[in-house]
Amino acid sequence: MQIILSFLGAFLIVIGLALMAGGTLGLLRFPDFYTRLHAVRVADGLGAVLFILGLALVSGDGAVALRLVLLAALVAALGPTMSQLAANAAHAAGLAPLAGSYRAPRPDPRRRTP
Amino acid sequence: MIALIGAAGIAGLLVLTLLRLHAGPTLYDRALAASSVTAKAALICAALAAAAGRADFVDPAFALALGGFVLNLAILKFFRTGTLQAPMVREG
Repeated sequence: MQIILSFLGAFLIVIGLALMAGGTLGLLRFPDFYTRLHAVRVADGLGAVLFILGLALVSGDGAVALRLVLLAALVAALGPTMSQLAANAAHAAGLAPLAGSYRAPRPDPRRRTP
Repeated sequence: MIALIGAAGIAGLLVLTLLRLHAGPTLYDRALAASSVTAKAALICAALAAAAGRADFVDPAFALALGGFVLNLAILKFFRTGTLQAPMVREG
């Protein structure tokens, strides 16, 4: 039973790490504040909750697991609240979102490497 | 063991988030990156607590999660209203 829980916890930790890597790369690469907010708060929030639940399964100790489940509930409640507050503050301050099609910056084709 | 690997992965992502905190063009990008940094620090604390197997090591993770939330809330409120002081006289 314990080994099944450990494998399930490791699976959840890996899934959470992959989601958080995607969210952090979105934070680095997206063109606009609102798209960055979307990447960080959606992918990163879900990844953090899965990561903490995986830790609770891996730890194998009742007290640690209970506290980690409570921490997962706290993170799951605070993330969307913070997302709404940040988007509302930026919109009220007049930060305009990018509209239209976006082209990712490419290296200049005229510059030739020797 | 997997908890330590997870902590190392989250630490690498935290370094990438610090890049956005350094380069963010607007205030709100920096506030978002700062809240993400505190959330990732809380995750590192939780992973180390699960690796050590001690329940009282989870408390810094709670402190970082709640403190980061309140800090980011205060930053956003300050730059929206220009002050943290409530108006002393009721309008009207």
